[in-house]
Amino acid sequence: MKTIKRRVEEELAAGNIGCNRSCAYHPSHFRGQNCTFCYCPFYPCEDPRNGYFVKNTKIGDIWSCEDCLFIHRNETVEFALPRIKEKGVEAGDHEGMMEIFRETMDRCWKPGRAIMVVGATSDAGKSMTVAALGRILLRKGYLCAPFKSQNMSLNSRVTSKGHEIAMVQMLQAQAMGLTIPDYHMNPILLKPKGNTESQVMVEGKPFGDYDVQSYYNDFVPGPGRDIVKRNVDFLKDRFDLVLMEGAGSPAEINIYDKDIANMRAAELADADCILVVNVEWGGSFAYAIGTVELLPPEDRKRIKGIILNNVRGDPEKMRSGADELARRCGIPVIGIIPHADVQLPQEDSESFRGVKTRGTGSKRIAVIKLPRIANFTDIDPLYTEDTTVVFADCPEDVTTADAIVIPGTKNTVDDYMWMEETGIADAIKTMRGKVPILGICGGYQMMGAELRDPNGIEGREPGTHKALGLFDNITYWDRYEKRVVRDRADMIDGGGEVEGYEIHMAKTEVKEKPLFSMTNHNRKGELEGSVREDEMLYGTYIHGVLDKPAFRKRFLSKIKSRGQVPASESMEAGDYNDFIDMNLDKLADAFESGMDMDAFMRIVEGKE
Amino acid sequence: MKSLLFLGTSSGAGKTTLDAAFCRYLARKGVKVAPFKASNLSLNSYVTLGGEEIGMGQAFQAWASGLEPTGDMNPVLLKPSGPGRMQVVLRGKPYMDIDRDSAMDRKAVMEKACESYDKLLAQYDAVICEGSGSPAELNLMDTDMANVGMMRARNVTSILVADIERGGVFAAIYGTWMLIPEEVRPLLKGFVINRFRGDASILAPGIERIEELTGMKCYGIVPYEVLKFPEEDSMSDNGGAIGNGDIHKEFVANLDKLIDSAIEAGVDFEGIEKLLAQ
Repeated sequence: MKTIKRRVEEELAAGNIGCNRSCAYHPSHFRGQNCTFCYCPFYPCEDPRNGYFVKNTKIGDIWSCEDCLFIHRNETVEFALPRIKEKGVEAGDHEGMMEIFRETMDRCWKPGRAIMVVGATSDAGKSMTVAALGRILLRKGYLCAPFKSQNMSLNSRVTSKGHEIAMVQMLQAQAMGLTIPDYHMNPILLKPKGNTESQVMVEGKPFGDYDVQSYYNDFVPGPGRDIVKRNVDFLKDRFDLVLMEGAGSPAEINIYDKDIANMRAAELADADCILVVNVEWGGSFAYAIGTVELLPPEDRKRIKGIILNNVRGDPEKMRSGADELARRCGIPVIGIIPHADVQLPQEDSESFRGVKTRGTGSKRIAVIKLPRIANFTDIDPLYTEDTTVVFADCPEDVTTADAIVIPGTKNTVDDYMWMEETGIADAIKTMRGKVPILGICGGYQMMGAELRDPNGIEGREPGTHKALGLFDNITYWDRYEKRVVRDRADMIDGGGEVEGYEIHMAKTEVKEKPLFSMTNHNRKGELEGSVREDEMLYGTYIHGVLDKPAFRKRFLSKIKSRGQVPASESMEAGDYNDFIDMNLDKLADAFESGMDMDAFMRIVEGKE
Repeated sequence: MKSLLFLGTSSGAGKTTLDAAFCRYLARKGVKVAPFKASNLSLNSYVTLGGEEIGMGQAFQAWASGLEPTGDMNPVLLKPSGPGRMQVVLRGKPYMDIDRDSAMDRKAVMEKACESYDKLLAQYDAVICEGSGSPAELNLMDTDMANVGMMRARNVTSILVADIERGGVFAAIYGTWMLIPEEVRPLLKGFVINRFRGDASILAPGIERIEELTGMKCYGIVPYEVLKFPEEDSMSDNGGAIGNGDIHKEFVANLDKLIDSAIEAGVDFEGIEKLLAQ
């Protein structure tokens, strides 16, 4: 407490410093945060709207306010700082400070509102709408948080506290200027296991395996509702706005009572809703009115606006139809959004459906289209390079490639068997030493000599399976255990830095030269991955290994010239994060151009 | 008069395929059947033996019916040729180019399309028509030919194909039904749900509710089949290549597989056949 007291004294003397951009940790919470009170003068305020007790630590219960945003808001500082000085309260005078704290809370704290984006179909563009609206509101000075009660996706990320949530909520958090997304933003994550079951993750940790029946009959009416409620309430206490995302369509009337991802979540959060319809496949007016009209009246009245999304061609051509739709539903159409040509990570592997290649660059990268492909956003940074990414599902795709990437999977054993059945495994073996090959997570496991699954934890059949044998490594699934961790590492040969995260069952006994050395402060020097530079073989558990330019450039530089004119670099090798940020702005611009902003802001302010 | 129109809740709902499957089903029973689509927006065209250009979908439907494709099966083919520009192919021959400034005489073109339809109806026991896109495009309702256009011009009994793959299928069916103009709505007799995976019993309460709300009948749930069909729609990117070998035979074999699995899943082809007489 002594240190804190001294720091607070220094802070009070320094005055309102606003953002401290020179700080190495800036922004520690959100873009534009006020850093005046790096140490909180009110600690411990013990107000549940700002923090909670961590129970039973070695020194008893400890008040934690690491998620508190209140103290970093301009209004708070602008009110509290002069008040402390006026009243002559000194650092360390907790009674005095608490009086000012209560005044400040009364004056500056208000509970957030929730707005929910529901979609007429599963790829209506809900996720991107939430991201776009979040970025628009960030520019207007709102502090927003994303929320999706239940997400079914194999595309997850690890938060800074080691919790697993859906990738797309992390992306939305980035759109909203948040630097520390956490599990509250996606408290239920369903990861399909490839059979009829899904692994259910609750608040970032494995909770259990459920099939459809048991999920809807046991989980949802059991713990489900409470999980949704407590997490969305947590966010409403801390943010101006919680931008919620529904799942699929809210009008699935056959399972209406069992759904906690759409209108029930809206009810629990008391959210106003915006319905998004993808115009691209046609029938959008029918989807919109059908969705609205199938909702029971008490849910229908939550829908305050309709967005017609992804219009190619002249949006004005939709206008007469939009007016007629609004008249018939009694709900305004608040946006006719042009198709935005942005490059952002995709939510579902379903988006791959039917797509064979992406990009038109000179280097053909075969990405094996594993049936249970997971964390496929790993390959997205390749799109920023001079590449054509081919989603390979036959041996020819592999043998004609300039480089091969074997991505992650929810089921390494079953997907390896698929590679053998399709002849892709043999095709990869014939390319050994001819083109660079990278395996990530499940793909890395497959590059080894054996997959040992004696208890059938991973595969359909227990046993040992021979794998590609590009490395001598052996991977074991000896117990039901999951490793979820964030990584920061350097290439061992000094090539540069990578950053990412690991999510996997199984352990790999590495018999190769390691690729990376960890730089996380508590794991410094730990070795990771495998490399055979002479054969251009690379393997790692680190998702996101291609995000930073260092390793991506190394991998692509191994591609032998094919006698073509060297393509000029489409963009400077950059941090993928900046690239994403630029695209989020582009997306927000497209939405702003097509939205009735006044109507939207009335919904935001709860005036509709 | 024996005809039936397959409408879809969106592009890619499976109209072309289910229309072809129904043609094949009738042809297997010995019915003399021909396909028809009043107007088609596609760059994927086929040239008939008579040198007429028609949509690829109708060519395949013709083969499913055991026929050689003819120009009457797709009297209007619209081929986008640039931003806001299209070539109009009428009964297989280039007719005119339209753009923002020069519109086509829709009424005259529709009359020609109807003549083709009448001709097929006189020649065959049954004409199985296909709609285009969604019939519920509020902004296009007045210019529609293949959907509401045919319902208005020739009172064709209709059935709606709804794609469940993207979700929102009940909203799509109910919304489409609601937005079809009242004067032709009674022609819409039923619907089928296409591309379903899993245990169909889970859908029952939703289907009952839609039947109750609309008076339409559900003629079945078509299971998802991985079929490599040619893509008629310029927007789809399914790389619909059929492997090597005889493309027609493979296509028809594909249809047989689809029909068999649909019948096994309880799709009421006989019920749909009865709609023909109405």
